[in-house]
Amino acid sequence: MRPVVIAGVGMIPFERTEEGGLVEMLATAGLNALVDAGVDDRPVDAVYLGNMASGLFNHQEAVASALVDSLALMPAAAERVENGPASGGSAIKNGFLAVASGFSDIVLVVGGEKMREVIGPKATDIVATMTHPMAEYVYGVTLPAQAGMFARLYMTKYGITRHHLAQVAIKNQNNGLLNPYAHIQMKITEEGILTHPQAHINNPVVADPLYLYDCCPVSDGAAAVLLTTPEIAKALKKPQVIIAGVGQATDTHALQEREDPTDLKAVTLAAKKAFEMAGAQPKDIDVAELHDAFTILEIAESEHAGFFKKGEGAQALDAGVTQIGGKLPINPSGGLKARGHPVGATGVAQIVELVWQLRGTAGKRQVKEAQTGFSLNFGGFGNNVLAFVVRREA
Amino acid sequence: MTGITAYKCNKCGLVMYPKHFRCLKCKGREFEEIEPAGDAKLLTYTVVDQLPWGMDERGRVLGIVEFANGVKATGLVKADDPKLGMKLKAEWGPVRVVGGEPAYGLTLIPKK
Amino acid sequence: MDMEVESYLRPPEIEKPPYPAKVVTLATGGKMVVRQVDRDAVPTLLRAIKPTVEIARDYYDVVGARLYAELIGWYRYRVRDEFCLVGQIDGLLVGIVNSRSYSPHTDISLHTLAIERGLRIGAHLFASKMEYSIEYLGRDEVLITAESPIGFRRWMIEYGLEKREGQHELGGATPYALTREMYFKNKARLVAGERPVPKEIMEIAEREIKIASERDIREKILGAAREIQ
Repeated sequence: MRPVVIAGVGMIPFERTEEGGLVEMLATAGLNALVDAGVDDRPVDAVYLGNMASGLFNHQEAVASALVDSLALMPAAAERVENGPASGGSAIKNGFLAVASGFSDIVLVVGGEKMREVIGPKATDIVATMTHPMAEYVYGVTLPAQAGMFARLYMTKYGITRHHLAQVAIKNQNNGLLNPYAHIQMKITEEGILTHPQAHINNPVVADPLYLYDCCPVSDGAAAVLLTTPEIAKALKKPQVIIAGVGQATDTHALQEREDPTDLKAVTLAAKKAFEMAGAQPKDIDVAELHDAFTILEIAESEHAGFFKKGEGAQALDAGVTQIGGKLPINPSGGLKARGHPVGATGVAQIVELVWQLRGTAGKRQVKEAQTGFSLNFGGFGNNVLAFVVRREA
Repeated sequence: MTGITAYKCNKCGLVMYPKHFRCLKCKGREFEEIEPAGDAKLLTYTVVDQLPWGMDERGRVLGIVEFANGVKATGLVKADDPKLGMKLKAEWGPVRVVGGEPAYGLTLIPKK
Repeated sequence: MDMEVESYLRPPEIEKPPYPAKVVTLATGGKMVVRQVDRDAVPTLLRAIKPTVEIARDYYDVVGARLYAELIGWYRYRVRDEFCLVGQIDGLLVGIVNSRSYSPHTDISLHTLAIERGLRIGAHLFASKMEYSIEYLGRDEVLITAESPIGFRRWMIEYGLEKREGQHELGGATPYALTREMYFKNKARLVAGERPVPKEIMEIAEREIKIASERDIREKILGAAREIQ
């Protein structure tokens, strides 16, 4: 396989967009990546679009074809890659394979979703269509409900408290304040969301034991990366940030069928594969972007990916290890919690953040001397997970 | 009657619900259809206040149970004060309204 | 002014016990004072409402223009039995709600305008005017309608309101009602605030209703321009 360089990155701020449709959002992010890479005059061989549900959210299909048209990339190959909330990660994996295999030299990967076209409970329903239709969905099972059932067991087993979950929310919202692309720009306090006797009114139950501030917002957004060979990246005079490792693994569709429901097997396996391919270990990682769609997941994933022993993620969080400036900053971008989680965009946005960090251009949230980054994109409730190791080569 | 059908692998005995075309453990393709039997033990649960569009209620308890014969399933728990490990009795009842018609599923009632 | 004619034009007014001020702790940890204001405050409040009249997002224009008119109407004695509560953080106005009494049994909820967003300020203030109508004025029910999807979600869905026949005074969508029973059922979940307000916090609120600049108000509602790297 050929090495694959991320030569260009682009994003649009995540928010509730007022103007423009899904394709405009995707094209803006894509154009930003093309401009960043400086490939305006070179042909793009292929476009991979990560998007989960444009049909249900926006009543539009075949969006990848609309995107190449919008960006005048014809006759580039184009397709949409759908893998639930890991659609972005899957699109990157496909783009990676295209370049690594020698099939394509320049690939644009865009991830995006426009979820706020529908009211919150409808978005919840659309996302919930991922669950098993007869064994879960019919009961009103949602992604927060699955996370709630997981959280109850995980918290009980490892002594994690709502204080720990609040620390994740507070940290990531603080990081979001340093990220102009983050949807949520608000400092919260433990008093306001947890310890004040009336905090439950600000922070109501979503799916007990998870509350509003344990959940990511519903956002619109898009992000893009341009993948190419080291030779072309060199000619473009771009830093050599490579995708050093890719891992993917799946698990049972229905949560009830997992032998140990607190074991996120697909996370462990995807991370292991990505590390093996990169010839790296968790201790080599300088910065990580994890899939904190729910606060509990940041803690659980940090353990399953191998950064901390099972049951020690919460202590690491409490000790400040995962803060910007700590030994392993997690979600300096604000994560899904503050940056937002436009489902198809997330996996790509995570890689964009890592590239900014490894290039040293992450502004106020820059992790010092970051050379190697890790991202984890969690599809379904952990039934289809992607992990990436990216590295800045000298 | 619980109304749901689970599948026991003829080769290795693994009990599965919902249906798979191949056994999750040994890839066997022949199964015995079984009904969940015995008391259901509550393995985990959540109390949902933010339900999808069309479900105008709060405090809906959803849980995963394991029956005495090994079947594990998600269901609607009709308990005001759910507790991990509590024993429940399963019934087949309306769990949601879809297109104006009731949809049926597993309802779980605390055992007295 | 011809006071004889004026006396025909001025609606009579029901005596109302005052709404006791309270303080709500927000998710930020910030303290929002919720208190009743009288007619004298109206010219100040109008300065904050004015910029919203041109903001189409989330129907701020509809809510802002109607609230503006309702408050002027009240200020100039043309609306009957209106009342107005405001939310202030460190003196700064962050939201306004108003209603009016229709009978000793029924109040009509008019508008809810949140200037600061993302902190449930609108929800807290809406809950406060329900608290006033039901608990302090002793009404049996409050008639409600919504003009924006956000309002619809916050009032109709969160309180599980009952549909009513006929029309709401605002002449919009189907009216709904919050009954006394429904209010008390939801109170612990939705109605925040502590009394009495600590003296030093109350003094700041009463000293001056500070109004953000027009630009700041627009930014608070529409989101600040971002400095993209």
